[in-house]
Amino acid sequence: MGEVVLYFALLSLISVGGIPSVMPEMQRLVVETKGWASAEEFTQLFAVAQAAPGPNVLVTALIGWKVYGIPGAFVALAAFCAPAAALAYSVGGFWDRMRQAPWRRHVQRALVPVTVGLVLAGGWVLATPLGAEDWRTGAIAGAASAALYSTRLNPLWILAAGGALGLLLF
Amino acid sequence: MPAPPQPEVRPPAGLWELYLGFLSIGARSFGGVLPWAYRVMVEEKRWLAPADFAEVIALCQFLPGPNVGNAAVVLGRRWFGLGGAVVAFAGLMALPLVWVLALAVLYTEWAMHPAVRAAVTGIGVAGGGLFIGTALKLAKPLAGRPWGIALAAGCFAAVALGRASLFVVLPVAVLLAWVAARKGRL
Repeated sequence: MGEVVLYFALLSLISVGGIPSVMPEMQRLVVETKGWASAEEFTQLFAVAQAAPGPNVLVTALIGWKVYGIPGAFVALAAFCAPAAALAYSVGGFWDRMRQAPWRRHVQRALVPVTVGLVLAGGWVLATPLGAEDWRTGAIAGAASAALYSTRLNPLWILAAGGALGLLLF
Repeated sequence: MPAPPQPEVRPPAGLWELYLGFLSIGARSFGGVLPWAYRVMVEEKRWLAPADFAEVIALCQFLPGPNVGNAAVVLGRRWFGLGGAVVAFAGLMALPLVWVLALAVLYTEWAMHPAVRAAVTGIGVAGGGLFIGTALKLAKPLAGRPWGIALAAGCFAAVALGRASLFVVLPVAVLLAWVAARKGRL
């Protein structure tokens, strides 16, 4: 379990943009490197986390749970949250003092395209558990992204519609 | 017409109130935490003015880690120091964690059922679609900025299609983006 703790802790510190940005890396670890779950099971774990209230960081608890049971859930969540929380704890005041500094604006701007690319990649790995050429997953993911982009629907309804389409198509 | 009188903004009175406030954010935040964090802290409890909230969220979106988890730490610390940071974070996570583990156990019981698997896969794929929609919203400032579009496309291709490690891609991408931002290209 030590290896997972270290890996999640390091991932925590590079998770700019939050969980969506590190989703591809988590999927790579769980599905490709370790073989703890298939791509489809990984997408299902993520679905369970989405169906609960609270931050989507809970998916780390589910990965821990899948591999090491209930203790794994707590350890994985703590490993992923603690380093970032410690950073947030220590830089809060500093950030406010730097409000006018040019480097702060540069950093904020620099992070936009990187975050966009990584969040897109996170969506891609979750939406293609049956391969990129599967039209059913493409249709569900395309409809969900269009609905989020162009309406003000609560995302929960979009997920529910995805579940209904899944029942029909798979 | 005179503006309605602004109700006074008042930080939580103690750790218990802080805990209950974040507990209620966590318990109700189906489909996204941020709107509920705003409703509870700004509208219901009036712990924060809207501008304070926006400033804290901007910082927490910049920092690594879960945004609202970071906000709990930053605000808990501002009001009550280390104890406040721990209490706010624990309050936020407590009920969702119990809920998600219960769902996971329930799901394992039913996972052999083909209809259940089909629906849950559909939910997960739609969740991936939500990420894609979010990325498109975030990409709006990149319109007309070829460097930004190229960087975003490069990150996507390397991570999603090339399955390169984030530990390699991120430092390279951030360095390139930093150079582009300093040259005024982003």
